[in-house]
Amino acid sequence: MVCAACVGPAPTTASYRGKAGHTAEDALSELETARLAVETAERGNMLHTSLEVLLSEAEDAYSSIQATFDSIQPPDSPEADRIRDRLDKILSAGSDGLAQLRIAARRGDAAEANSTSAGLGAVSQSLRDFSDDPRA
Amino acid sequence: MKKIFAATLGILTAIGGFVDIGDLVTNALVGSRYGLSLAWATLGGIVGICLYAEMSGRVAAVTGRGTFDLVRERLGPRFGLANLIASFLVTILTFTAEIGGIALSIELVTSVNYLLWVPLVGLAVWLIIWRVKFSLLEDVFGLLGLTLIVYAVALWQLNPGWGDLLHQIAVPHKPHEEGLLPYFYYAIALFGAAMTPYEVFFFSSGGVEERWTKKDISTSRVNVFIGFPLGGLLSLCIAAVAALVLLPRNIQVDTLGGVSLPVAVAAGKIGLAVVILGFVAATFGAALETGLSCGYAVSQYFGWQWGKFVKPRNAARFHVVVLLSVVVAVGGVLTTIDPITITEYSVVFSAVALPLTYFPILVISNDPDYMGDKVNGRISNTLATLFLGVILVAATAAIPLMLLTKAGQ
Repeated sequence: MVCAACVGPAPTTASYRGKAGHTAEDALSELETARLAVETAERGNMLHTSLEVLLSEAEDAYSSIQATFDSIQPPDSPEADRIRDRLDKILSAGSDGLAQLRIAARRGDAAEANSTSAGLGAVSQSLRDFSDDPRA
Repeated sequence: MKKIFAATLGILTAIGGFVDIGDLVTNALVGSRYGLSLAWATLGGIVGICLYAEMSGRVAAVTGRGTFDLVRERLGPRFGLANLIASFLVTILTFTAEIGGIALSIELVTSVNYLLWVPLVGLAVWLIIWRVKFSLLEDVFGLLGLTLIVYAVALWQLNPGWGDLLHQIAVPHKPHEEGLLPYFYYAIALFGAAMTPYEVFFFSSGGVEERWTKKDISTSRVNVFIGFPLGGLLSLCIAAVAALVLLPRNIQVDTLGGVSLPVAVAAGKIGLAVVILGFVAATFGAALETGLSCGYAVSQYFGWQWGKFVKPRNAARFHVVVLLSVVVAVGGVLTTIDPITITEYSVVFSAVALPLTYFPILVISNDPDYMGDKVNGRISNTLATLFLGVILVAATAAIPLMLLTKAGQ
């Protein structure tokens, strides 16, 4: 169990690229979970307590994914540095958006939650593009 | 009329009791990642559990004895002990996952952190096992578990392309962007989730609790051959709604809230409320079954008085094992290891333990000294032997695949 869960180093640029791609996929999953929950709530189809739980869990998982990626030592190559910078920017934008979503949902501010969710659509697209090709 | 009512109740509780936290999480997770392209593994698991549950029910009806008692006598104490250790460890891991599942379900309607519910859940599970009649707890939670039919309603509401879904089931394929090893890892997880060992020895021990005789074999068969496949159909519905709602948005299920989300999308607040009730019922029912199974396994092996058909003071050691199992399971969840992660590992370890659970049942159900004229028929034996081969392959491959794929990544 421990072996399966641990994060190994990335000795080559290719393996770092692979880990970055996986990170983007996992982060995208959490971001889209939060957005789908907010969209469902907007249509009146979601219990408020469930929305809070879903958003809080998505935010926690997202933070954990981000922290795990940050803890990987990148190899000494310009491409690895570019990958790290690019993904870091996208992840930070997503992290801020998820925090805003959670705050808006807890305050019952549907308008703010909806506009933040719509704005996070661009971050989702960036994560999708990144996971398709981390080098681009 | 009474017999028809009993059979209907048996089928309904078998359907409602079939799905547990392992089925919920694994089917939603796989559906959100692979669509229905791994439905063959669930269907295979359903055929396997029907074959072996029928055998174990027949053994209980003919001998009136528990599985572990018979295994020790027929295959010797060493094999019996290996069987006990493997089955007990997997069952207590599953028990831990179910306790966590109940707490997570309650969190979805209260938004109070699940860890705060865990001690109360443990207390409730223990009190019910200790005080409530076996038939009552089996019927109530089995029937409440039927609320998970809301997944079938959600699937219908989503108005999918039925032809496409059937095509995905009938023509198994690996999505091109996915690796072969994770594909087979999740196939084994689905197989393990459908064939969880406790389901078989709970079913047979339940037969002894309810004092089945040879006359009840037909009722047991009806429950197994109608109830279990319909329960398995619910598992496929869970995977299907996840495939329709979550897969297109690149969402991979990693929480119980995520398992419920497609129902909210398709069936609204009422659907969501019903599905959460279904989660509580399914996980609570399975927690009672796994908790009792811990007690059954140990007590049957050591030859102690066991079961709820006698007063607790007459089966004190059985109840002590159950109580200790509750303490271990509650402690396991309170370590803060994610219950969904525990669930994911429990279904894979279930697959690893399957041969030790299922092989002895095949041996005993073929032994005329125990079974008289109720030994396996030729068809049953051929199918069960073929399945044992599949189980062996799955059990052998499970751990290497877990390590190679970093648990399905």
